[in-house]
Amino acid sequence: MSALDLYRDDGPLARAFAPLGRAAPPSVLVAVAVVPVLVLAAATGADGSRGLLAAAVAWVVLLGGASRGGALERDRFRWAVPPLLRAGEYTLILWMSAAGCADGPGAGFALLLALAFRHYDLVYRLRYRGRTPPAWLGAVAGGWDGRLVAIWVLLATDALPAGLYALAAALGVLFAAESAASWRSFDAGDRPALYDEGEGEAE
Amino acid sequence: MTTVSTAVLLATAPAQGGGVAADLAWEDTTLVSRLGDQLRALGIDDVQVLRRPASPDLAADLAAVARIARAAPAGVLVAQADVVTQREALAALLADPRIGTGVLSSLEGVGAPFAFGQRSDRGRVVSAASPFHAAGGPTERFLGLLKVSAADTAALAAAAEELAGLVAGGVPAAWEAELERKRQDWKGEAEAPARLAAAREDAVALLATAIVRRGAHVGNADIRELFWARPLSAAAARQAAADIGGHDEERVLLDSAVKATDGFFTTFFVSPYSKYIARWAARRGLTPNQVTVASLALGALAAAAFATGHRWGLIAGALLLQVAFTTDCVDGQLARYTRTFSALGAWLDSTFDRVKEYLVFAGLGIGAARMGAPVWALAGAALTLQTVRHAFDFSFAAAEHASMDVAPQAPLAEPSDGPAARSGAAGTPVPRPAASARVLRAWRRIDRLGGAVWVKRVVVFPIGERFAVISITAALFTPRVTFIVVLAWGGVGAVYGLAGRGLRALAR
Repeated sequence: MSALDLYRDDGPLARAFAPLGRAAPPSVLVAVAVVPVLVLAAATGADGSRGLLAAAVAWVVLLGGASRGGALERDRFRWAVPPLLRAGEYTLILWMSAAGCADGPGAGFALLLALAFRHYDLVYRLRYRGRTPPAWLGAVAGGWDGRLVAIWVLLATDALPAGLYALAAALGVLFAAESAASWRSFDAGDRPALYDEGEGEAE
Repeated sequence: MTTVSTAVLLATAPAQGGGVAADLAWEDTTLVSRLGDQLRALGIDDVQVLRRPASPDLAADLAAVARIARAAPAGVLVAQADVVTQREALAALLADPRIGTGVLSSLEGVGAPFAFGQRSDRGRVVSAASPFHAAGGPTERFLGLLKVSAADTAALAAAAEELAGLVAGGVPAAWEAELERKRQDWKGEAEAPARLAAAREDAVALLATAIVRRGAHVGNADIRELFWARPLSAAAARQAAADIGGHDEERVLLDSAVKATDGFFTTFFVSPYSKYIARWAARRGLTPNQVTVASLALGALAAAAFATGHRWGLIAGALLLQVAFTTDCVDGQLARYTRTFSALGAWLDSTFDRVKEYLVFAGLGIGAARMGAPVWALAGAALTLQTVRHAFDFSFAAAEHASMDVAPQAPLAEPSDGPAARSGAAGTPVPRPAASARVLRAWRRIDRLGGAVWVKRVVVFPIGERFAVISITAALFTPRVTFIVVLAWGGVGAVYGLAGRGLRALAR
């Protein structure tokens, strides 16, 4: 699996929609999926209705999932796919948490903390050890697509913000514990996959 | 200390006045025995020397390297036996675990004009010249030492065998034409005839070219301000002995502990003194990982202070965050200074940087809520923007490395590795560059203006600037102001970064 596939952090739903996007450039599909959602979220803020949020989640999961199916190596903007998926996921989480109740965004932020750990660990583990987190961890975490649907269900059942806090705590403990445990089985033979010092911030 | 078990030193370059340059006198010994002692001191037990006339010619040298590489129990170093350099230069190549296969090279023109050029992208050599090969758009010079990791020794042996086949019975005519081109370039240099004679025997540069063209991942160890020379006469060796004392290894080691491409705030406000803290920590026997953990603890304290929601808490948090950031710079400098890199250390350093930053966001969010003005949506937006910006960095790097892995390489018989040589269609006219390529070129030209590079590095809002902005705005104003400034500056940096990468992608 290539690094760009790994960084997507897809779950079962996104994988199921992959064949739909076979003919389209992945970066275009993801941009069409995510950019309107960023605009709508900024425009409506805490006033997004559950129906609108359901439509937004469905739109992003469908098109974002389909973007898995296209020919990545022929897409010259392929590097935009994982960051746009991340932007879509995090924005939808904040949007749904704000729509849930006044205390929602704090819970949304807590969940983002846990997810950010996962997403940086995907990169740093590959960069410094040439290893990827186990597939079961990605499956248990649901992928970005599964999480979005689960959070909408929490919203629709009036389970915010407690549901988000519970999800944040569960995922945070899971990600941190698995990552720490992975170092116990660290083998000095692990080799860095690529060596690129710094964050590339001064590109 | 090093993953190299075997060194092959090529004592084949002729000295002016007879014999080989490697046998020139150096104090009470010779160049080759001095280099051999330096390598043994760095942990290479098996040092073999290929010497004229016992190894009669280039083809025999290459065949011998192939045999030695196949038999080596671990990594192999192939080097010119007449290289005079300092221990720290050798250690930078041999004792840095981040360099698997790599070369000693110079970004600053050490070895010019005779040391062959090479071009690197993202720290990786993508094109390397030899006496008989050219490298387009060179970014540094190859200094005669090639380290090959155990994983690549089979590729080294295969490359050596292929080269031996090519040079058996005289070098190809196209190669002679390339060497003639170099002779023209060197016209007027007093040393040119001796350097041309040495170039004809240069198996090391040929092997570097060959292993790069085989697609191996070849890194760079920069010579920095350390001494390097390849004397080809007794007078040159005496000159080297006189000059080498002027290069202070300790000072170079300390200066180079500072990361070469840091941001403006880090470079001018933190590194000038943090490197002395790093040296102090080294003398106290502290490890980089201990410093990393201490930095995280300080960052968590800063977050806790921000979370109080009182003015004194915001001021204390701002100061603690700056102490945490200095400590964070120290760990990397300590690792570079003591050359104690580890996969765990690198992971901890990167991961804890992010944890610290987002804990501080959380602390500011809690503080704002306690002050009666919650800003969670802004905090979430700031976290999202920063994470997405990093994701762009990571994904762009991954895409670039993937392109390098599949880039077609020219055959070794071909001196040039330009696009025509790779496609085998020599003589095809070069198409006029697209508009995006011309804009990109103008963009890069701006880089060369004085100070422009620093403006760019400030615009992209690196970690030093981020932490400085957080400290100043939180201490003077409110968490809301902090998040708004972080979002605005980060947004500008995101647009700037996206524009540059978009141009590069379009210019392909």
